[in-house]
Amino acid sequence: MNLFSPNIAKSRKLEYSIGFSILLFIFKILFSSSDSFLYHFANEFIVFFTLYFWLLYLIDFVHTKLSSPLQLVLNVGILAALFFFFVAMSTIIFDLKTFTPHQNFITSIFSLIISFICFIAAAYIFSSFRELFFLRQKRDPKTYFNTMIVFFVFLFFSNLLIKIDQEFDYPKNAFYIVALILISINSLRVAWIAFLTKRQKIYLLILSVVLGILFGFNFSFSLDENILTKILVDLSPGFHSVLSLMMIYGTIYFGVIFFTTLFHLPTAEAFDRKAEEVTSFRDLTKLVTQVLDFKELANTITQVTTKVCNSDSAWLVVIDKEEYDLVSINNIGYVEADELSLKILESLNDETESLITLNRDMTEVSLKNDLRKFNFSWIVIAPLKIHEKQKGFLFAARQKDFPFDDDDKKAIEAFSDYASVAMENAMLIEESIEKERLEKELDVAREVQYKILPSETPKYKNVDISAMFIPAFEVGGDYYDFFELDDDQLGVVMADVSGKGISAAFIMAEVKGVFKSLSSVIFDPHDLLVKVNAILSESLDSKNFVTAIYGVLNLKSGKFNFVRCGHTPLILISEGRAERFTPMGMGLGLDNSEKFSDTLKQMEIQLKNNDILTLYTDGIPESQNAHLEDFGYERFENILIENSYLSTDEISNKVMANLTTFSKDNMQNDDITLLIMKWISNNKIVGEN
Amino acid sequence: MADFNVNVRGVGSVSVIDVKGYLDAHTAPQLENAFNQLIDGSKYKVVVNFNDLSYISSAGLGVFMAYVETMRENKGDIKFSNMQDGVYNIFDLLGFPMLYEFYKNENEAIEKFKESISK
Repeated sequence: MNLFSPNIAKSRKLEYSIGFSILLFIFKILFSSSDSFLYHFANEFIVFFTLYFWLLYLIDFVHTKLSSPLQLVLNVGILAALFFFFVAMSTIIFDLKTFTPHQNFITSIFSLIISFICFIAAAYIFSSFRELFFLRQKRDPKTYFNTMIVFFVFLFFSNLLIKIDQEFDYPKNAFYIVALILISINSLRVAWIAFLTKRQKIYLLILSVVLGILFGFNFSFSLDENILTKILVDLSPGFHSVLSLMMIYGTIYFGVIFFTTLFHLPTAEAFDRKAEEVTSFRDLTKLVTQVLDFKELANTITQVTTKVCNSDSAWLVVIDKEEYDLVSINNIGYVEADELSLKILESLNDETESLITLNRDMTEVSLKNDLRKFNFSWIVIAPLKIHEKQKGFLFAARQKDFPFDDDDKKAIEAFSDYASVAMENAMLIEESIEKERLEKELDVAREVQYKILPSETPKYKNVDISAMFIPAFEVGGDYYDFFELDDDQLGVVMADVSGKGISAAFIMAEVKGVFKSLSSVIFDPHDLLVKVNAILSESLDSKNFVTAIYGVLNLKSGKFNFVRCGHTPLILISEGRAERFTPMGMGLGLDNSEKFSDTLKQMEIQLKNNDILTLYTDGIPESQNAHLEDFGYERFENILIENSYLSTDEISNKVMANLTTFSKDNMQNDDITLLIMKWISNNKIVGEN
Repeated sequence: MADFNVNVRGVGSVSVIDVKGYLDAHTAPQLENAFNQLIDGSKYKVVVNFNDLSYISSAGLGVFMAYVETMRENKGDIKFSNMQDGVYNIFDLLGFPMLYEFYKNENEAIEKFKESISK
């Protein structure tokens, strides 16, 4: 059963209420007074429905407009005062003995206007009572309230019985008493008081005294013989008795509110604080996930710490590179907080695993020199921890000699935990930004590297060439290139720049530039590399160097003239045997004196049919497997020997396949470059041996 | 992952740096720190003992190249000792033996410094 939510649109409710009001008005004007039962019957029904629809409309209105229960109580108070005012004024203006509502036309209209005002006021008061009744109720107490309303309705119509027979008044009295009992029970639903702040409670306490008395007076007036009573009884005896009941309701209800509020007052402060704590925690949780700036969050944390824990000041210190860094202050000077925390933390000697409380003596001891400045009696220090590592401290300080209780300490600890989480978040974000930056840098380096390397290998009748390059995640500085010096001479270079990433890529670009421009001018490998070394030594950082092999292959004679500058040995596969050539030569950039030129030895190899020359970077022999064993030279050479009858592309693939299998459990951390040249002097097709 | 460790000790006027483990781009700054401290203390005669070093990358080699000039300008040097074959091969390929002195053991290197003083 739901009396107050029939399926009527909100605008309709107002229309119905106004419609019935007009009906009532016309009815009252037309049949000013009659004693017939039919008149009374019709009258009571029209009044009832007018009241009902006004109630429907106002319940909605009150419900949607509800800003705070206090506002509602205040409105009720104003309306109660209005009743009081009417009674008082009408007694002054009119003579009680001679006044009847139907004295003349003016009194009739006046009575009706007063009646309507009372009508709407009563409906509003009732709606407010209903709203307050349901406010903050955990279980649905609808039944009690609806039963009460049913008895209100019974009482309303029981007046008709009296019209039939004057003696027939005991049902009315019975309903009156039952309604009274229900009112008393329902008045106890005042849970919403608990959720008011202390200030609001004090306000409510005063308000409830005034209202209780006001309703009490109104009730006694309703029993008295006075002009308002006369008007209302004339309007509808049922409405009058219900109104009188509501005045009792008000008296009891505000009486209950007064005492409840009175008893709630001592705990109001604690309740306020708890509520504040809950709100702060909720806000902080939201902030921690939304705000990425640690400093901003730190400010919020010190603010709520001061507020919630009843401290005078709060500040937050983080440990950055083993130094204390004051991040946020609240109600304390920066210099003071900095000095104070430093002194305290020093005096604690790293015994800061858990929450620490310092009383006056201890703070005095640690602040011997500067006692006036920091007049704190109590200081609580909560450590910030990330993965069991101390990352900072949250300080809360109180000036009055009034220790922090357990609740305060728990709250401070919780806030320091929030700070830790926020700090970790900030750190993680910083890390990910840095990582992203590095990855972008690596992308650039990789792109540079690909652009520097030749896009295709040259093709000749006498020599089959294959080049393969596999960059590491962290781009290294591998480089190879071919230079057609003239019709018969092919320059070949392989170089490895020390270092990784974008800096290696830049050096590599320079190396390419130097080789490209000088190789066409200086044909002799020894002289060329001495010049290259001189140029690179100028531009390279003292800790960077480049290893290289540079050789010139005579495409007619099959003579290969080369120098090695610190690079991995050249491997020659000839007649099923491997030979490593390691002529003397320092890495480029190691030394820029005569020594480089003097020690650099040039070497000449005469290639025979099907001989294979292999140039590579240290990424191949130094590739490691899960047991951290090197791929090494022997494995490498054996693969070359076993597959020497294949084309150079196929040999390359074999090497890479073996290398990948070998090092599959270990990340490739250096570039891998492999350059294979096979000499075919009798012009047979590759692969036919 | 593989660890790296640096320890500096003084033997008379010579400083000995013991390096241990993997010396690569990630661990090189530790060795750089050791060199910086020696330079701050005006100690330019350095022997690096490679006895416990199992791997060195190009970034590791770069550290010695970066500091050797400062040492030599101040009448000091960086000398290497107790190198395992694998590690020595890397130095050798690059041509380091043409620029740096390598010794079988630490004492030989220290003796060499003393000789140069007495000369």
